[in-house]
Amino acid sequence: MIEKGKISAQQMAIMMYPVIVGTGIISVPAVSAEYAKNDLWISPLWAALIGFVAVYIAFQLHKFYPGQTIMQYTEHIMGRTLGKILGFLYLVFYIQMNGGGIRIYAEFVTGVLLTKTPIIVVISTIVLVCAFAVRGGVEVVARVAQFFFPLYVLSMVVIIVLLFPDLNYKNIFPILADGLIPSMRGAIVPGGWFAEFILVSVLFPYLTNVEKGRKWGMISVFSVMMTFMVTNLLILFVFGETTSRYLYPLFTASRYISIADFLQKLDPVIMAMWVAGSFIKFSVVFYALVICTAQWLNLSNYRPIVFPLGFLTILFSIWGVPSKMVESEYNFIVFPVYSFFVQILIPLLLLSIAFFRRRRPALR
Amino acid sequence: MNTISLKRAVNLMLTFSICLLTLFLTGCWDRVEINDLALVMATGLDKANDNNIELSVQLAIPKAMGGGQGMVGGHGGDKPTIVEKATGKTIFEAMSRLQEKVSRRIFWGHNEVIIIGEKLAREGIQRHIDFFTRHPSPRERSFVFVAKGKAIDTLKVIPDLERSSAEITRELANFKIGMSVTLKELVQMLIGNTRAAALPWIEVEREPENKMGLRVNGTAVFKKDKMVGRINDKVTRGVLWLRNEIKLSAVTFEPKGAEGQISFNLLRSHTELIPKIENGKWKITAKVVTEDDVVENETKLNLMNPKIVKEIEKQLEQEIDDRILMTVKLVQEEMEADIFGFADAFYRHYPDQWSKVKDQWDEKFPEVEVDIKSNAYIRRPGMSTSPQGIPENEVKGK
Repeated sequence: MIEKGKISAQQMAIMMYPVIVGTGIISVPAVSAEYAKNDLWISPLWAALIGFVAVYIAFQLHKFYPGQTIMQYTEHIMGRTLGKILGFLYLVFYIQMNGGGIRIYAEFVTGVLLTKTPIIVVISTIVLVCAFAVRGGVEVVARVAQFFFPLYVLSMVVIIVLLFPDLNYKNIFPILADGLIPSMRGAIVPGGWFAEFILVSVLFPYLTNVEKGRKWGMISVFSVMMTFMVTNLLILFVFGETTSRYLYPLFTASRYISIADFLQKLDPVIMAMWVAGSFIKFSVVFYALVICTAQWLNLSNYRPIVFPLGFLTILFSIWGVPSKMVESEYNFIVFPVYSFFVQILIPLLLLSIAFFRRRRPALR
Repeated sequence: MNTISLKRAVNLMLTFSICLLTLFLTGCWDRVEINDLALVMATGLDKANDNNIELSVQLAIPKAMGGGQGMVGGHGGDKPTIVEKATGKTIFEAMSRLQEKVSRRIFWGHNEVIIIGEKLAREGIQRHIDFFTRHPSPRERSFVFVAKGKAIDTLKVIPDLERSSAEITRELANFKIGMSVTLKELVQMLIGNTRAAALPWIEVEREPENKMGLRVNGTAVFKKDKMVGRINDKVTRGVLWLRNEIKLSAVTFEPKGAEGQISFNLLRSHTELIPKIENGKWKITAKVVTEDDVVENETKLNLMNPKIVKEIEKQLEQEIDDRILMTVKLVQEEMEADIFGFADAFYRHYPDQWSKVKDQWDEKFPEVEVDIKSNAYIRRPGMSTSPQGIPENEVKGK
């Protein structure tokens, strides 16, 4: 095995949480609001189903092929050539996904704070930091996640508590006025994010307590779901019908905080925490990408390819994305479908093939 | 010996260059020092010729702002703020014109108040609001006002009590003595079901002479985004009551069969709008629960007597009902603009029926029947028992 480090199932759950929330919280609620209107808080419920399914698939596959990542058992299941092709699809997808995620983050940072900084600077600095973390291995990434996770959650609790005087709970009514359909449509984009939970299949082989992997994976999905529900409710209570008009609703809400005329303009604090959260997200995805690439190429050490892949990631976040509008179009229209296809349908296919192979070993 | 010193030299060089590298970490290549910024405290928007907009900004002068002590004596003529104006097709264009004559970079991050001139308000405000939510610097927390006459005149006011007129307006908004609407809330009103908006109306006070101040005196009523009229102070209180925004209120009335007035100070109040559609009749019941303290008693009534207080509570309820109903009548008949939020109440309870009248709400709103059910509780008599300065035998209800 090229990774010597070991993490616990709990650490895995902490690592996966920012993978979804890190970029998801920045602008996904606004997209949910566009379709679900004031039912946007129900959307994470539907979206989380995809997350639960992803963890389930990953765990079952890992049970069939213990100690292997998705890259390795894909080859076992599909055969060498087809496995390599599928593997390549995964690699391209994860580079693209990470590139897209980094672009969301960078657009956010340059859009609201560093308006005159070239976006390439914002992108390359975060990729560089992530690359250092990834070179440290899975244990380093896990500990970084463990360090930032409490602060990250705390920052959200602070927003929620400080916004209390400005909440209008009546905005929630009428609940389900147009039936369930709008809230389901609002779940499509967050669903694309929840599908990223399939990444646990890269982390399972390094768990010290694999048997708890599914439980902690589910806990992670559940806490992400709760986070989205609470934040969606929060912005609904603050903005009502205007929620979808804001590009970064939760951030704008945090700017709205004003307690006793002096506790205000907290957005830089919030932003700092979101940078930390995004950093964990990109590190985890980046790490998965590096491990998968190393296994795809049958390398004995993954460290030499960290920086080259980081460079590729930078390219993918810049290529063909001239503006925030194009980035949104990609991330909110193309990505959810793409993500569902690669991260749910293909693993599901793998699982069913693996299942039948197990059932009828005599045929082989 | 030689090799060691070479190694040391290399180490030193390395350390030095690493230290140099940290210079890049500060990220201040496009830094703007605070003394290069012109902080906008308040913004005024007025109509100019040819569809242009006149932007006026109140800029803080840090020299005069800081240190309350320095203000007295010494440099007498120091004004804490200055007002600059420029015109342009849009706010941002006007701002860039403004920048031509302001030596520091105009910074919106501290803008607390947006004041819209009456003329512009009557033409429609939606177009001009976009800038404040789109540009990254202005805050959604800014309070929005409509000024009598030109907005720039309110900005020019140099108050006695506060440092700037921006501060007065903000504090007045915080009191919630009249309407208090932030930019975020205004956007919600404009987009909302009611198709109406209400903004506090601000006037320059020139009484007594040679003093200047600002006063929130009523509410500007908007239909869609165009101002259609103004309601006075008293009517505004009714609006606040219905919108569940009342925070400060003094109710004074003469109890039946008594001479003199009693004043009550509002402690807290809660209003709930309960919509009902029956046989095609749209009806709103407003449930008002208020708690008051007696603060002034001119009558001879002994307010320690629970029976008398009960009687007065009833009259207080009647008084509140009348006040609110007067407002409702005026707004329904004269303004025909739903600034109470009835539309939201109906939408939330009857989404289906609502969607049918959605487009004709302007015609439907005046027909909505309004019923006020208030419950007033007088909690405490203040610090006195029976009326002060009255001989014992003249006190009623002892």
